Amino acid sequence: MMWSWIPGNWSLIWQLTWENAKLGVLPALFGLVISLPLGIMAARWRWFSPPVLTVVTVLYAIPSLALFIALIPAFGLTDTTVVIALTVFALCVILPNVVAGLRAVPDPVRQAATAMGYGPLRRLVTVELPLAVPVIIAGLRVGVVSSISLASLGQLIGVSSLGYLFIDGLQRDFPTEIYIGLVLIIVLALVCDLILVGIRRALTPWQPRRERRGRAVLVRSVAA
Amino acid sequence: MITFEAVTKRYPDGTVAVDALDLEVPAGKTMVLVGPSGCGKTTTLRMVNRLIEPTEGRILLDGRDIRHQDPARLRRGIGYVIQQTGLFPHRTVEDNIATVPVLNGWPRAKARARARELLTLIGLDPALARRYPYQLSGGQQQRIGVARALAADPPVLLMDEPFSAVDPVVRASLQDELISLQTELHKTIVLVTHDIEEAIKVGDLVALYRPHGKIAQLGTPERLLGAPVDDYVAGFVGFDRGIRRLSFFTAAGLALSTGPVFSADTTVAKAQASAEPWILVAGDGGPRGWIPSVTLGGYPGDTPLGQLPAERVGHTFTAGTDSLRAALDAAVLSPAGLAVGVDDAGQVAGVVTFDQLRAAIQAADAADSAGAQAAGQLGAAP
Repeated sequence: MMWSWIPGNWSLIWQLTWENAKLGVLPALFGLVISLPLGIMAARWRWFSPPVLTVVTVLYAIPSLALFIALIPAFGLTDTTVVIALTVFALCVILPNVVAGLRAVPDPVRQAATAMGYGPLRRLVTVELPLAVPVIIAGLRVGVVSSISLASLGQLIGVSSLGYLFIDGLQRDFPTEIYIGLVLIIVLALVCDLILVGIRRALTPWQPRRERRGRAVLVRSVAA
Repeated sequence: MITFEAVTKRYPDGTVAVDALDLEVPAGKTMVLVGPSGCGKTTTLRMVNRLIEPTEGRILLDGRDIRHQDPARLRRGIGYVIQQTGLFPHRTVEDNIATVPVLNGWPRAKARARARELLTLIGLDPALARRYPYQLSGGQQQRIGVARALAADPPVLLMDEPFSAVDPVVRASLQDELISLQTELHKTIVLVTHDIEEAIKVGDLVALYRPHGKIAQLGTPERLLGAPVDDYVAGFVGFDRGIRRLSFFTAAGLALSTGPVFSADTTVAKAQASAEPWILVAGDGGPRGWIPSVTLGGYPGDTPLGQLPAERVGHTFTAGTDSLRAALDAAVLSPAGLAVGVDDAGQVAGVVTFDQLRAAIQAADAADSAGAQAAGQLGAAP
């Protein structure tokens, strides 16, 4: 470990961290945006959910590198390729949580909302989605953390991220870079995770303390 | 007024939940639908706000067919209370209560002010307004559910097993509160329960269902207890229905005798002279106890009755306000076989005998049957 390497490379480290953060957060956000309508449809229409969740499981099984390669002919060696690929993986994690979160809305609550005179859309937006927030955010947390970690693979097709430090460190037989890259990815993931926990707390003051840990649903268990 | 005209609900698998139901819920009255689970009482209730649509027949609300009304609009005019409360966990108490006013387009501040008003009406501390449902007890949640249903002042209130999930003590107080709310608000209430005691306690009218969606008997609670139409109804209302029915007859008409009543400073000799078999000693704070006359001979004639050992009075009944059931209870528990009536201040008003009670019960019974025949519809099965 060569500590002196750090001060001399501040701007490189900072730039790579920023690139990696973008490549982690954007796919999770896109994944969320795509998951919401699909998840709402899957929660509403029973028949729609098995095919959607099966597709999600299959997509999740594709090796990330293979997906990069498949996207290169269309999008080249660009950020777009990496973001699209990671969006697919984030989607795979988030979508089942949207479905599970909406399905977990207690039946009496849904029934009461209908009986009070809510139309279906207003009920969805003002009752069901807010109640699904803890589970959806649990999925988002997994999505963000896995995107941040997978983003480093983008370096293999030349898209800049903290992955650069791994490859460069390996090629130059310089472990310091590898260690720094590893620590920064973990720190980045933890920071993003903490931000999401903060957002969830702010959005759900109505949750009893002891239940405040929304748990992510595993892809397979929901699809099965 | 809610009117069911030949309403049937049949499910695709052939199950008949409600079978050609004709039922009229008079405006301002509490109609209790009671019966075993699966008898169709909840289905009946949910057809009123179109959570379930009937297969045949029609339902009129104040003469208008509910099918011709927009469901969401219709529902905002019908309060709905369910066993599991269905409170919105993500909204504060005040915002839960304000739900329907907000849906009706009220500004939020005005709706919240209304919510606080309702908290007071249902006997909860307005300081609870900012709490979330998980911070409340079961009884409080159920009260909030009732407040939410009343928020937009709907003329009709549907209640599906509203008090079944709380413990018996809380349930009894919620029932009492509903009764007193109803004397103030005069809503048209349809309440579903499987508990015949609850039905008899809160209902102006009770519809007792048979399995598979037929009404076995429809009538006032008194009529159900007094004249069950068949063994099914008799079995459902219970073995002690004769006694329980006396709750509906007032004890106000009983002629109270003061013959055996003596104050505590009366002498033994004077009490003996009355030739009553039992002597009731009355003090300033009400009855003190019964003394059998046969024991009086063992004391000097100038002894005040207050110094003699006496047997406990047991229960008393309040002459002006209690029911014949309370009077009968007092007689049964009295060592003298005489029921002690007290006035509103608790002072002894007099005593009644079993024979008097029997006569009063028979008279009340005859008046009740005559009244029911005159009224015609209430005691009859539909």
